[in-house]
Amino acid sequence: MFDSIDQVIAALQGQQYICERKLATVVFLALKMQKPILIEGPAGVGKTELAKVVAGTLGRPLIRLQCYGGLDETRALYEWEYGKQLLYTQILRDKIGHFFNDIPDLPTAVAHLHRHDDVFFSEHFIVRRPILQALTAPEPVVLLIDEIDRAEEQFEAFLLEVLSDFQVTIPEIGTIVARQPPFVCITGNNTRELSDALKRRCLHLALGYPDEARELAIVRLKVPEISATLAQQVVTVIRRIRTLDLRKAPSISETLDWAQALLLLHATSLTPELADETLQLIVKYDRDAQKVRDQLPALLDDATAAEWQTNRNRADNLDLQVQRDRYRHHEAAYFRSRRDDS
Amino acid sequence: MDRVINRFITILKHNGVSISPSETIDALRGLTHVGVADRETVRAVLGSTLIKDTRDIPVFDELFDIFFSLPGRMPTDAAPSDVLAQSTARPIEQAQHDAAERRTLLDDTAREDVRLDTERLAAFTPAPDPDRLDVPTLSHALVLNQHAALLDEVLRQVYHLHVKQAGRHARPGQLSPIRTTEEIDLQVSGGALHAVLNDLRDLGVDEDVITELAQRLHAQKHDLTGLLRRYLARGGALLRRAVPPLDPVPPVSTFTAAERHQMEELIRRLGRQMRGALSYRRAIDQRGHMHVARTVRNSLKYDGIPFSPVLARRRDERPRLVVLCDVSLSVRHTARFMLHVLYSLQSLFEQVRSFVFVSDLVEVSTHFAQMDIESAIGIVFGGTLIDHDASSNYGRALDIFYTQHLAAITRRSTVIILGDGRGNGNPPNAWILEEIRRRAKQVIWLTPEARGSWQLAGSDMPVYAPICQRVEVVRNLDQLGKVTEDLFRYAVHP
Repeated sequence: MFDSIDQVIAALQGQQYICERKLATVVFLALKMQKPILIEGPAGVGKTELAKVVAGTLGRPLIRLQCYGGLDETRALYEWEYGKQLLYTQILRDKIGHFFNDIPDLPTAVAHLHRHDDVFFSEHFIVRRPILQALTAPEPVVLLIDEIDRAEEQFEAFLLEVLSDFQVTIPEIGTIVARQPPFVCITGNNTRELSDALKRRCLHLALGYPDEARELAIVRLKVPEISATLAQQVVTVIRRIRTLDLRKAPSISETLDWAQALLLLHATSLTPELADETLQLIVKYDRDAQKVRDQLPALLDDATAAEWQTNRNRADNLDLQVQRDRYRHHEAAYFRSRRDDS
Repeated sequence: MDRVINRFITILKHNGVSISPSETIDALRGLTHVGVADRETVRAVLGSTLIKDTRDIPVFDELFDIFFSLPGRMPTDAAPSDVLAQSTARPIEQAQHDAAERRTLLDDTAREDVRLDTERLAAFTPAPDPDRLDVPTLSHALVLNQHAALLDEVLRQVYHLHVKQAGRHARPGQLSPIRTTEEIDLQVSGGALHAVLNDLRDLGVDEDVITELAQRLHAQKHDLTGLLRRYLARGGALLRRAVPPLDPVPPVSTFTAAERHQMEELIRRLGRQMRGALSYRRAIDQRGHMHVARTVRNSLKYDGIPFSPVLARRRDERPRLVVLCDVSLSVRHTARFMLHVLYSLQSLFEQVRSFVFVSDLVEVSTHFAQMDIESAIGIVFGGTLIDHDASSNYGRALDIFYTQHLAAITRRSTVIILGDGRGNGNPPNAWILEEIRRRAKQVIWLTPEARGSWQLAGSDMPVYAPICQRVEVVRNLDQLGKVTEDLFRYAVHP
């Protein structure tokens, strides 16, 4: 366990995960307060990765539950193992017959049987799905519930008991309480509203794109062979692309892919041709690619780029938002328009 | 400490962030783990425990900056305060800008009767309370708040607000006519200020803090008059605006018998086609695939022989509709028509949420569910629900939808927007539409205007059109019928 936030930052860095203090604070709090973390943010900013590195730093096993449409409690919590139940009754048939040998009449037999009827509804016959696994693990684990917004709203209700009390109630058996409360990470892409009940039980962490220095540090860390100039160029261009109004802005994973690709192409610095050829690594939609291609000379050229940037600022009056990521851009634009209204 | 945090939470609540008691407790518990020495840590702790919606984050950041610092010390590069425009920040900026003007005003307004309408009052009242006593650092806030009761008392002396309730309450969010305004009798007494400061000195508070505080209090006194003056002007503007009476005669729609018949036919056809999307949940049914687990379980009583197979199938799930309908003058004919269709759909679907907008946006689902068609449409066009004389503002309507009704959209929702996309030069807020598209199954725009005229005279259609999955030009029943038919086929089987 950690004693301070700085220790968390250092430990995560030891796992090759560079984070800002805000994130480390939330991780630290979650461990201290034993509360789940709900991480929201655009794809590719390291939401899932966080759970993995926390597991790594704490030396705990990671149990992952990938959510999808139609996920229900039999896949997430537990399921009865019917085949095994059946098999056991078959195998034990003789034994059961033997068991009733010295019973005089039927009512006594039934009463007798009643005393043993929980044999087939015991923990032996339960298939443990990820959540139950996490609760019953002998040592504390990290439980990652990935992309919860892909599952139906009803599914969130199953999680509530787990998240607030770290327990699961199975009607036939009773309540199973976690031996060691797991460290729970829930990630979401914000494609739908999560229920307030769920949010209330979690610490909320909105993960955006990192600032320039941090992104550069991440590139240098993850792609150590890359030259300093190229890394700087990659980060600068990516950050400029993010200020464009794209359907899907490139995130850190795209930055890393791009850096890796450029390295494989033995590039020493970024040229327009090279950027054009590798564009599909950073923008994933045709419309976006066209937009970036149009702006490419301006994006790449340093002198004009600065000018381009200021022109853009003037045009959109976005001087504050340019520095922010597109994810937060929405919110900012919204409040700006609210001010205009009032 | 809990007092400071509670005040901060109160302010957040005033600004529309919902915070439950358990979250408050979490925040306090969290702070005990990390302490209050570092400002950014405190921000992270409060942010993660109190703010659960990404939309609230900018509000939180702004309020945090203001609450835990003096306004003069706010970093200027951080573009101060969009958020607090209505409450705290603007008066402060105002104060700095026209100080001289205010000083003369102050003399005049030693005692002044001010008429404010209720809504503005609500935004205004939190301003002069002790919540605004921000001090440079959190620790200073802690010192001061040990004597919170004293501060409260003195501040009460500084600002006497007598609020006379007059008549009934106005509906929130509505412009209130003259009779519901409330009179505010305001007294600003300068002497009390010095009393506070003296009291503070007696308490042995750091001299710097007192100096800062004195400046703040003076500034606030000045702010107040400036603020009131602006409200006065605004109130006047509102009153002037309320004068022209709205046309009480609702232009209720009438259709010819042939049209009505055609429409009924259309609806019936739609109803037949609505087979609904398959849900992922399996339900026990007479037909369908075998549910292995249940069958095996069932067969236990027959000695393991699957004697009575249990069948299950995925249940039909009807798509959900969210309809946004422009009812401004320019598209009124089509809107009338769409509302008719909408009314019929309401009974047919699992869930239809309908909204109408001109500049404001209101939900009419309940009206449609409870009334007969003529009165429902009469209400929409009657002018009581929505101001038809405003010029249509798509950006604002989308904005209201985004803040208040975004949760109506799930991945099963089909969003239909009916309108000509003419926002009269207002910001189109296309990103909201994009956000809606991201969350919904599909977004369909029906416009009565031919594509050729989109470029003309400030239509925002070229901006909106590429965002929607489909844009259809609909001018008569036939076209609408065709489009709606397709639309539901796709809504069900994308």
